[in-house]
Amino acid sequence: MSANHATNGTVKLSEEEIALYDRQIRLWGLEAQTNMRSAKVLLINLGSIGTEITKNIVLSGIGHLNILDNHIVTEEDLGCQFLLGKEDVGKNRLDATKTRIQEFNPRVNLSFDKANIEDMDASYFKKFDLVIGTELNTREAITLNTMTRQLNIPLYLAGSNGLFAYIFVDLIQFDAEDEKLRSIKATEPGKISQNREIISIDERISEDDDKIVYERIKTRNLYKPFQNMLDDATLNGKLTHRQLKRVSNALPLTLASFLSSFDDSSKETFETQTRNMCLKLGLPIETISTQYTEQFIRQRNVEFAPVAAVIGGALAQDVINILGKKQSPLNNFIIFDGITLEMRIFEL
Amino acid sequence: MPRETNIVKIVGEDSYAKLRSTKCLLVGAGGIGSELLKDMILMDFGEIHIVDLDTIDLSNLNRQFLFRQRDIKQPKSTTAVKAVQLFNNSKLVPYQGNIMDANSFPIHWFGEFDLIFNALDNLAARRYVNKISQFLHVPLLESGTSGFDGYIQPIIPGKTECFDCTTKETPKTFPVCTIRSTPSQPIHCIVWAKNFLFNQLFASEPSPEDEVDTKDWGTTDEEEIKRIKQETNELHELQKIIVDQEESRIPDILDKLFIQDINKLLLIENLWKTREKPTPLTKTQLKTIDLADKKLDLNTVWSIEDQLSRFVSITVKLMKRIRTEKVIEFDKDDQDTLEFVATAANIRSNIFNIPLKSVFDIKQIAGNIIPAIATTNAIIAGLSSLVSLRVLNLLKYAPTESPLDLNMAFTAKASNLSQDRYISNPNLAAPNCKCAVCMKVTRGVLSINDMNITLGELIGKLREKYGFPEDISLLDSSEQRLLVDYDFEDLLDRSLKDVNLRNGSVILLTDEEGNEETGMVRKPLELYINVTDDNSIKLTLPPIDVEWIKQISEEDKKMEDEKAKQEEVNEEIIDGEIVILDEEEEEIPKGKKRKLDDEITSENHEMKKSKIDETDDGQIILD
Ligand SMILES: [Zn+2]
Repeated sequence: MSANHATNGTVKLSEEEIALYDRQIRLWGLEAQTNMRSAKVLLINLGSIGTEITKNIVLSGIGHLNILDNHIVTEEDLGCQFLLGKEDVGKNRLDATKTRIQEFNPRVNLSFDKANIEDMDASYFKKFDLVIGTELNTREAITLNTMTRQLNIPLYLAGSNGLFAYIFVDLIQFDAEDEKLRSIKATEPGKISQNREIISIDERISEDDDKIVYERIKTRNLYKPFQNMLDDATLNGKLTHRQLKRVSNALPLTLASFLSSFDDSSKETFETQTRNMCLKLGLPIETISTQYTEQFIRQRNVEFAPVAAVIGGALAQDVINILGKKQSPLNNFIIFDGITLEMRIFEL
Repeated sequence: MPRETNIVKIVGEDSYAKLRSTKCLLVGAGGIGSELLKDMILMDFGEIHIVDLDTIDLSNLNRQFLFRQRDIKQPKSTTAVKAVQLFNNSKLVPYQGNIMDANSFPIHWFGEFDLIFNALDNLAARRYVNKISQFLHVPLLESGTSGFDGYIQPIIPGKTECFDCTTKETPKTFPVCTIRSTPSQPIHCIVWAKNFLFNQLFASEPSPEDEVDTKDWGTTDEEEIKRIKQETNELHELQKIIVDQEESRIPDILDKLFIQDINKLLLIENLWKTREKPTPLTKTQLKTIDLADKKLDLNTVWSIEDQLSRFVSITVKLMKRIRTEKVIEFDKDDQDTLEFVATAANIRSNIFNIPLKSVFDIKQIAGNIIPAIATTNAIIAGLSSLVSLRVLNLLKYAPTESPLDLNMAFTAKASNLSQDRYISNPNLAAPNCKCAVCMKVTRGVLSINDMNITLGELIGKLREKYGFPEDISLLDSSEQRLLVDYDFEDLLDRSLKDVNLRNGSVILLTDEEGNEETGMVRKPLELYINVTDDNSIKLTLPPIDVEWIKQISEEDKKMEDEKAKQEEVNEEIIDGEIVILDEEEEEIPKGKKRKLDDEITSENHEMKKSKIDETDDGQIILD
C-alpha cells in the first residue's frame, strides 16, 4: 500500500496528477477521473488477461485494486505474461509481481490476497465496489455470480481459449449517460433492445457553436446472472437468418465449453454440447466447421498475449467507463474471434 | 512444459519455427509501440528492430506502460528495450532516430525485414513508410488510435489498398479575415493569439512585412485587407517594446490590441451588418489591472480581470526570457508561452462575445493534443499482432488464399458506430486504381555497386528486362529533372555518378511509344537506387513484372496536367493560410472514416433488408 493516499473521491486531483493523467482527462473529464479514485476493485487471477486488466486499470489511476491469486509460476506462464521472468518459475505469482505492478503507478493503492476463490465468502467480497473474475471454471463463475448478486456488486468475467475469448458482464441494473451529436431525427425514449431502454433525453447546446446540439441520453441496462444466461441463451428473434449464418463459431463453442468441464470431456461429448448449444441459440448446425471445433478443442484454456491484450483492453475500458460514469457499458456477452478479428456483442 | 507451449498449440510446430526466424521492424515505441513490442515478444518473433525519435514525457506515463517517472527525457526506443528484458525472448535492436532519415535508415536496411509494423503518430512518417513498403513489396501493418477510436490496416503492396489509396484529413485552416477581423469561435481567437500575435512578438526576428498577395484573405473588401496589412506593420512597434524590455509600456500593448485595433475594426461597417459588434476594453479596465501574482486554477475559466492581470505578468516574464533566448517558440509544454496565448485569446474572445476557455482546454487546442489511453492502444496492438499471423500465413487452418481475405479492424462500439460490434472487421479492399502511390506506377529497388555505368547502358538493361520500347523518357523524380527523352539524349553517355544520381535517388522510366496495335503502354516504372558496397553486385534489377496499361490520349493527359496544376495552386493557397494543426500526436487518418461509413451503410442496409423480409407474415425469408 502506498502511503498518504487519499481514497476519498471528493478530494481534488493534484496538479501533478492532472499532468500525469492529462491525455485521458481530455477524453473523460476531471469528474470521471476523480470518481475512479474512490473505487475499490477486486481482480481474481493474475493470468494473461488478468495481467492486461491490471496494467490498464492501474495506469488509469483507479483508487484501489486488490488481486486474489494463488498460482505458482510455471515455465508456460513466461510465454504469455509480461510481468514474469525466468527467475520467477516456482514462486508464488503475486510475490513475483507485486512490486512490478506498483511500479505502473505508485499512486494506486494495491493489496494482494494469496488465497483460493473457493475459500472466500460474502464477508470478503462485500468490501469491493466491483469484481472481475478471469479464467474461472463454470462452477466458480456461478458461485461468484450468486454472491455478487446477493451483495449487489457489478461483476465482469473473462477467459480465453487460444484465439477465441469472451467477456461476460453482470452489472445487475445500470443507468448510463451518453452524449452524442443530435442527428436529423431526434432520439426517442423506449426499449432499444432486449436488455436496454432509453429512459430520458436532455439536449445541450454547444457553448462554442449554437448550431451544434448534443443529446444526453440516459439508458437503463438490465442484466442476467451467468447461470440464467447459460440456461436461456438464444438468438432467436434477435438476429435474422442471414445474420445467424454469419455468427462466428466461437460463440456456440465458447458457450458449450462452459457446460463441459475441460478435464473429463471427450471430443464427442464436446461436439454434442456444441450441437445442442446451436439448437438452443437458433444457429444452423451446418455453420459449425469441424476445423474450428478441432482448433477450439486444441486451444482450450490456452492463453495468448495478443488475445489477452484485446480482451483485457475492452474489459478494463468498460470498468473505467462505469466507474467514471461515462459511456454505455457492455451488455452482456462479448465474443472475440482472433482469426477474423470479429468481436461482437450479444445480448443473451 | 516449455515457454512456447501455448503458442505452439495455436500455430503448430512449423509455423512456430517460422516465427522464430521472422525479422520485424517496429516503427514507433510510444502508445501503440510499447504494446506491440510486448505482444511481439510474447509471440516469439525472432528479431525485432525498434525505431523511435522521441524521448519520454510525463504525459506518456498514463499509457506507455514500459516507462516510469525516472525515465522522463530518456529515448523511448532504448528505454523500452531495457524495460522488456524481464520477459524478453527475442533479439531486440533499438534505434533513436527519424525513420524518414535515409542516411540512418537506407532502403536496403528496410529490405531486411519480413514485416513492418507502423505505430506512428504523424501522417508524414506513415506516408513515407507506406511508400518504402511499396518499393520493397514488404507487407506493412498500419495502425492508429485517438482516444476511444482505433484502427488497424494490413497493407500487402500491389494487392490491397495502401495507406494513400484513401484521402487523409488535411490540417484544418481558416481564412485570414476570420482570424484577424471576425472571429466567432474560441479556436479563432486561439489561432490569432498563437499563430499571429505570439509569433509576431516573440518568435520572429524583427523584420518588415512579408505577407504575400496570393493569400486566401476570405474577403475581397479592399479596406479590410488594407487594415490587416497595416495592423501587422504596427505590431512591429509592439515587438520593439518587448525587445527593448520596456515593462512600463505593457499597457500600451493591451491598448493597441484590445482598444485601438478593435475600434478600427468597428469603423468597417460592412463587417458588422450581419454580426454582433465587438466591445473593446475600456481605459479604466487597463488602469485597474491587479499586478499581484494570484494563484489561479488552470482547469477553471478565469474572470476577465484575472486574464488581464495574468497577461501582464506573463508578458513581463517572457520579456525577461527574451533577453537571453532572443527568440521564443510557442510550445504547449512551456507554461509561459501557453498562458500568454491563453490569456490573449480569452481577452479577445471576451471582446467578441465568445465564451472563454480554461488554460487546460486552450492547451489542447493550441497544442493539438489528441487524447490517448492505454486500453485502446492495447486493443489495437493486439489486433495488429494477431493479423500478422495471417499476413505471414502462419495459421494453417485459416490459410490466406488471397490478401483480400485478410481483415482490417476498427473500434465500432467505442466510436459510436455500432451497438452490437465492439470491433468491426471488414475484408481488405483492392488498391484504388487512381492511387498515385501504389497504382499509377510499378515500383522496385535497383541495387547497384558500379555507379560508373552510363545512363544509356542502364536504360538498355531496363528495356530488356521489363520490355520497354525504343521511345522512353527517364526522370530523376526525387529532384523532378529530366534525364533522357526523345529529343534530349545528351546525357546518354554520361555515368550515373556524373548525372548526380546517388543512393536514395528515385528514377522514373516512362513508355512514350506504346504498342500501336493494342493501344497499350508499359506502366511507368519507378526505381529506388540503392548503392551498395557489395562489389559482387554490379547491378541487380528487381524481379517484378511491368504490366501493360491503356494508353492515355493526349487530351486526357492535358486534362490531367491541368488538374495537377490546379491542385498545386490550391496547395499554395493552403500554405498561405493560417494552419493550426501541427500533427504533434497520434491521429486517425481520414481514410478510415470512409470505411467506417461504408460499414455502417452496409449494416443499415442489412437491417432494412431484414425488416422487409420479416414483414412477410412474420416469416423470415431465406436468401
Ligand atoms: Zn495506394
